[in-house]
Amino acid sequence: MSASSSRRRRAGWATALPWLDLVALALWGGLFLKYWVTGKLFILIHPNYMALTIAAGIVFLVICGVKALTLLQQTQKSDRGGLPHLTVFPPGWGTAILIVAAIAGLLIEPRAFASQTAIQRGLTDSTLTTRTKPQAFRSSTRPEERSIVDWVRTLNVYPEPDAYTGQKVKVQGFAVHPPQEQMPEQYLLISRFVITCCAADVYPVGLPVKLKGQRSAFPADQWFEVEGQMITETLGGKRQLVIHATSLKPIQAPKNPYEY
Amino acid sequence: MERLNNAFTLFLSLMVEAFPFLLLGVLFSSLLLVFVDERRLVAILPKNPVLGAIMGSLIGCVFPVCECGNVPVARRLIMQGAPSSVAVGFLLAAPTINPIVFASTKTAFRDQPEIVFLRFGISLMIAILVGLVFSVQKDLRPILQPSLARMLPRSRMEQAGVSPLLQSGTFILGSVGQPLRMDTTEFQGAILAANTVGKSAADRWNLLLENMIQELRELGSVLVLGSAIAALIQVFAPREVILSLGQGPVTSILAMMTLAAVVSICSTVDAFFALSFASTFTTGSLLSFLVFGPMIDLKGIGLMLSIFQTRAVVYLFGLAGLLTFLSTLFLNLYVS
Repeated sequence: MSASSSRRRRAGWATALPWLDLVALALWGGLFLKYWVTGKLFILIHPNYMALTIAAGIVFLVICGVKALTLLQQTQKSDRGGLPHLTVFPPGWGTAILIVAAIAGLLIEPRAFASQTAIQRGLTDSTLTTRTKPQAFRSSTRPEERSIVDWVRTLNVYPEPDAYTGQKVKVQGFAVHPPQEQMPEQYLLISRFVITCCAADVYPVGLPVKLKGQRSAFPADQWFEVEGQMITETLGGKRQLVIHATSLKPIQAPKNPYEY
Repeated sequence: MERLNNAFTLFLSLMVEAFPFLLLGVLFSSLLLVFVDERRLVAILPKNPVLGAIMGSLIGCVFPVCECGNVPVARRLIMQGAPSSVAVGFLLAAPTINPIVFASTKTAFRDQPEIVFLRFGISLMIAILVGLVFSVQKDLRPILQPSLARMLPRSRMEQAGVSPLLQSGTFILGSVGQPLRMDTTEFQGAILAANTVGKSAADRWNLLLENMIQELRELGSVLVLGSAIAALIQVFAPREVILSLGQGPVTSILAMMTLAAVVSICSTVDAFFALSFASTFTTGSLLSFLVFGPMIDLKGIGLMLSIFQTRAVVYLFGLAGLLTFLSTLFLNLYVS
């Protein structure tokens, strides 16, 4: 290997690197816009912040376009060399990390969390609470119009289960099968995730459902629309509100799986 | 397999949420680098150490830089003759006390506004205190790198005629284009100083673009790694371990401060990182991460060591770390 050929190789690398940076940024811009178009952003972040992501995607693409134009003009002139700067990684590494991560994002679909995450995030080992404090107590809402989150928030404000006995329920969510010692075979939890910012902070809320038969007929992670009446039962040594189900209808998982 | 997919979804969600804020931070820091003349700013800085420390800590409000951009700026401030209390206050506070970090922290902790305000209050307090401590050291030479200190008399003579600002006040560090220890920061400062004086608007925009792409590459790749680490910990670390570590008032703070030093994630986006620990870690420990993280990170130490002697860097980070620990421990024990 002669010195001149290695120098040539290095020179080729040096001209390729700025282009690779642009490829990395363009991939991320494209990825953000793809998530927007395919509606996958709903799985990843709260709708309030989607505009930021979309804008960032567009800005990335604009930066790439403008820079590509100047790079094309520059190669015709002389090599001006880049701006010296502070770097954490050896040259090329930062670019490589960004490109690999973006390609992985394009190839692997993000998926909404399911019951395993719900259990891991403490659906079954804490009392039901929501982090957002209810802004108003709306007892006027018709009970069958409440979502799972509405029910849990209402319970936060007035926790006595007997107050709700006999009220009609109609909620949608996915099934979670808690461990046997916490809930017998005849029960499952109908659950939703609540998102405040992004998937990193989603937390589960759920209501116990009393079934007519065994829960094995209603697989975990499947979405159901549960209809029934509220009753009070003692589960795991705790008096709580339980949905006595009259029907469990399997439904499609919604495009936007979270509640707010 | 499902866990791996969960981790990946989590990773993507952090990236999608944090990258726009990083972009905003990079945009501002590049604008500052290319369009703002720091000399004018230094000229209006107060000489009083207390006012200087407060002022220095608040400069971040108009110079929104994250911890990756603050060392070069602090260095340029010192070169232009800013007092040590201003420089140290700026060094510690600027990455936190600025509008972009405020916005991202508020976004992340929408449900817990107290975290946002405590983050800013504690950061400000620590920056001012440490700034005051360093203002006692009027002659910075003993705590500088020997090579840099040796260079000072010469550079002073060289620069005496250059800038009238450098003739009064503390300008010990002043050394534009200082030949020894020609690290990239110094180089960047020098090149930019040369570049921004009397350059056409087109050239400036070019420089802005170039700088943005470079910072996006560097900080973006750190963000990728940081988000990946956060996602993996959240999905794969056993819940019992995390809970026992995260619920102890002392262990949780120590764990989060260590994490802050190891994960060099940019301060504009670190709130999202902390968010993934919000349900399992104490409030005090989350704050210790949010306060200490922007002040210290491993690459920051390397950079600081090119200016200060090891002893001074240890004092600086030791003091900041201790103050963070004590104030957040107080929160854990007596407030929350």
